[in-house]
Formats: sequence, C-alpha cells, structure tokens
Amino acid sequence: MDKVAIVGFGTTPFRARWIEKTYYELAYDAAKLALEDAGIDRKEVGGVVYGIYNELFERQFMPDVYIHNYIGMGLKPSVRVATGGATGGAAVFVGWTWIASGLYDIVMVLGVEKATDNYNYAVGHSTPETLKAILFSGDMTFENPSGLTAAASYALPLIAHIDRYGSPTEKQMAMVAVKNHKNAMNNPNAQSPKLLSVDDVLGSKMITYPFKFYDNCLYSEGASAVVLASERVARSLSDNPAWITGVGLSLDKAFAGERDDITVFTSSLHAGRDAYRMASIKSPARELDFAELHDAFTGAEILSYEAFDLCGPGQGGRLIEDGVVEMTGALPVNPSGGLIGCGHAVGATGVMQTGEAALQVQGRAGKRQVKNARTGLVQSIGGPATAWTAALIVQRIEKTGAGTKKRIASGRRRKGP
Amino acid sequence: MIKDREKWLEHASQKIKVPQELIAKAFKDEIDGTPAMDAPLEIPDIMDITYKYSYGGISRFFRELRDNRRLYGSKCTHCGKVWLPPRINCNECYAPTEWVELGETAEVVTYTVVYYGTSTFYDRVPYVCAFVKVEGADTLIMQNIFLKDIKMAKVGMKVKIQFKEQRNGDMGDFWYVPADGVYDNV
Ligand SMILES: [Zn+2]
Repeated sequence: MDKVAIVGFGTTPFRARWIEKTYYELAYDAAKLALEDAGIDRKEVGGVVYGIYNELFERQFMPDVYIHNYIGMGLKPSVRVATGGATGGAAVFVGWTWIASGLYDIVMVLGVEKATDNYNYAVGHSTPETLKAILFSGDMTFENPSGLTAAASYALPLIAHIDRYGSPTEKQMAMVAVKNHKNAMNNPNAQSPKLLSVDDVLGSKMITYPFKFYDNCLYSEGASAVVLASERVARSLSDNPAWITGVGLSLDKAFAGERDDITVFTSSLHAGRDAYRMASIKSPARELDFAELHDAFTGAEILSYEAFDLCGPGQGGRLIEDGVVEMTGALPVNPSGGLIGCGHAVGATGVMQTGEAALQVQGRAGKRQVKNARTGLVQSIGGPATAWTAALIVQRIEKTGAGTKKRIASGRRRKGP
Repeated sequence: MIKDREKWLEHASQKIKVPQELIAKAFKDEIDGTPAMDAPLEIPDIMDITYKYSYGGISRFFRELRDNRRLYGSKCTHCGKVWLPPRINCNECYAPTEWVELGETAEVVTYTVVYYGTSTFYDRVPYVCAFVKVEGADTLIMQNIFLKDIKMAKVGMKVKIQFKEQRNGDMGDFWYVPADGVYDNV
C-alpha cells in the first residue's frame, strides 16, 4: 500500500446559515482554499470524493454531480459518500483508499452541507424542519413513527450507560460543553465560541433528557476540503506533510435494540482498534497527543473516550474531571472546539476535523496548537444510535533523508498493476 | 420587491401547503421592503412524495396489530431467536423465520425524554422514546411510553402494551404504559 498524506486543507467558517451561498458555492470556496494550501492547480487533482449527508438539506438529490462541474473537475473520477454524521470521516476513508491502492497520486475530499434552508413556517424557525429532514434517516417503518430525534438516538445508549455505571454525570457532561465552547474561541472558523460556566450549561433549557441546550452541537452550514497525496507527490509538495497512518470504518447493527451491549459505542471500538492496529498504536492513552472526537452531544464525547480505549468502561467521566482532556491536559480532546464549539455542518464536519488534525501535527494550528502534537485521532460518528464510525490516525513522521527536489503533481491515473 | 403581493402569496401557499399569513410573515422583507438587487433571494419550496408502500414479507405483523390487537415477533427456524422488529429470515443463520405471538408486558431497557421535537412532533412534547424488551422477544424494540408524569420514566420499569382505538396498520397503533396501570388515558 502507498502511504497517504494530507497536503492541503481549506474550510469555510461554520455558520448557522450561509444565506449568501448555495451548497455548490460553499464547496467551491473550500476547494479553492485547499488547492491553494496544497500549492497545486485543480487540473492536478486525480479525483474527488464528496461527503454530503442529506438530500433534503441541500434540496437536491445527487448534489455531487452539480458540485463536480461547478468546481471545474468535469470528467475526473468522483464518488459521493453519505454515512450520516460520519459522512466527512468516511469520505476521507474512501479518499485514502484511492491513494493507498496506487490508483491516484492526488485526491481531493470535499465535504459540504446546508441545513437551515429547511424552514418551519408555523414555528418561524429552521430547527424543527431540519430535525424532520434528519428523521427520515431513522428506520421509516419501526423508528421514525416514535418521534426519535438525533439527540434521542444518542441519549438512549447514554442513559443505559448512566444506569450501569452512574456516569457520566450531568456535571461531567457540562464540563465537556464548557471545554469545547471555550476551545472554539481559538478557532476563527467556529460557530459557537463561548466562555460558559458549568452552571450555565446545567441551567440551560432541556432539549432531550439528559442533554440541555449547551450539551448539543448546533446545525451548521459550511464546506471543508482536504487534499490527499501519495508519498512521492507529498514529499515533493511539502517538507512537513501530515500522514494518515491508520484508518478504520465500522457499521453496527441498524436497530440498536439488536446490539449485544447498548451502553458501548461498538462501531467506534471496532473502527478505533483497526486504525490503532494499522498505525501500530498499542497504548492509545499514552501514544495519542490529542483527539478530534465526534461530540455531537457532550455525553457522546465521554462514551467515545471509553470506546477508543483512552480509559476503561465507565471511567470516561473522570477524564474530564481530572482535566486530562483539557487543552492543558495530557490528551486534549477537540482543540478545534469540536462539533459543540465549531458547529456540525454534517458532510463537512469530519473533513474539517481531519484538516484540524493535520494542522496540529504540522504545527500550524495557531492559538489552538497542542504542544508537540505528533499523533492525533479523528472520529466521525453517524447513523442511528452511533451506528457508523470512521476513525483516522493523523501523524507527523520525522523526515529521514532528503526529499526529492523535483515537484511532482499530476492528476493522471497511475499505471495499473 | 414582489410586484403583486396577493397573487404571489396565493401561489406560494398552494405550492408549499402553508397558510398565506405565515408565508407573509416569513417573507416580510421581500414583500414590503426593497432589498438590493444582489441581496440573497429566498423562495418558498417543498419536496414531497406520496406512497402506496408495501410492507412485503412482514405485512402480517401490521395486519395483526391493526385487525386483531396482537403483537407478533418472528422466530428463526434454525437458532430459535425471536426478532422484534420482525423479519422473514435470520441474518445469523440465513434461515427463514416463523410468526410467534408475543406477550403483553415489557421492560424498559433504556429511554429518553424528547422536549424539542421535529416539525411532525413539535406539539407532542415532552414524550418518552424507549427501547423495551417485550415478553417473548430476544431483541429490543423502540416505542413510546405514555406516563402520567414524565419523570416516572426509568430504566427497568415494567410496562404493558396498549392499543390505539383507531388503528392504521403502523407503529403508531400501540404504545406502552406502566404495568401497574398508572398512566394518562390517551
Ligand atoms: Zn437464526
């Protein structure tokens, strides 16, 4: 397999609404920024993998068709990935395979999402209609009629976990909300930078028990892109590329009621183990320098600590209480602000978090830089009750010997095996 | 600025099936104001599709619910696992299943209370969504629990099935209430 590097990253700010841009105009902005960051022309891209979740958000089925031409990629290979909230991470996973297989040297992964063109006229607000558009992702026969929401879908495993372990407590979850809103203050692209207290979170409006308003991420609109490259091209473009050294993807049983243990994010556990194995990570708590986790809801971040072996079962709440996952701790989680701080522009989110991980290991993360960040974990969760997880390990690898001086960047398909 | 306000509202209302006054409220600036030529222009729109959907092999499950007030699961003819939601084959054995009637009682394995619902459920909040283990089934099913006081919801609570008077052949035909009989009569 070819080694795969991230050589460019571009993102629009995540916002509650981008009224002045359509989904394809946002996609163009992210593509342009990522190409500039990589220092290549669009013609040098071998193919594009799109991450776009919800047709009803975009008011368009097959939205990738209309983006591909709009960003000047006509006739190049392209495929769209749609795996719910995990769309962005899974799109990076697929882009990774295009390069690792030796098929292409340069692949762009482009995630984009609208959400708040949906509008409920009776309420005078987008959210109930956005939630309705999401509910079509729940099983239409057996789960949609119960009025399940995305938050409820995460709350169900969480309540079972709390019942078993007495944790996470509402206070521990509030501490995650405080941390991620605060981390977002260092991220110019974040939607919800805020200095909150634990009491602010605990006193905010109940949305879905046990999640209060500030325990939830917000729906966002935005686009993010990364440019992936093979080793020979990556070395010619950058002295310091970020390498994707491990990938994992898992899809759990659709009906959470069929799963062996409803308290575990089992798809994260599996995707994480695969990614760790590939990256030769044996003790993640010790070897990881930071993580970008899928904190769609505070409790999900805490259960993810456990699924990724950062602590034992039922111990997740302690990591936030002991400050381990704070910016000043041993393993900062969501230095970008995560979904709670940045917002959740679904298809773009996992791509943005991958790009953020690349900035960290390259030492380009500005005010949110984790000191000596060398190895990071990225998690993307999606589907009913965290059915999907994509996991990536992003690493800096110290250069051995001089790289090639000759710049190689060609979008052509490489010779077949 | 919209030229003929009345005609535009009439057209929009028919198109998206929303009363004219609500559309007028949402588009106040565009109707009354004079937005710049380059200002973002929004339009009312709707995506909808009607169905005559077939339940295929699990049709009997919904007929029994609708016509006989009975809850059925499906039992694997090879391993004996009882599936709910039902399925006509077993994905572990790749063998067919057969219909078995399930009990009236169930236990709440996990639950949540929704205080902010989708457009469809906006007026129904707060309500309980739960995974319950129905007597005789090996898997859990998602269903609503109706309670006199929403704070009564807890893991491990015993519930019993209640059928809706007017049943339509979908999952809304039944829900669960506390087994001890303390519930709102919905
Ligand atoms: Zn079987």
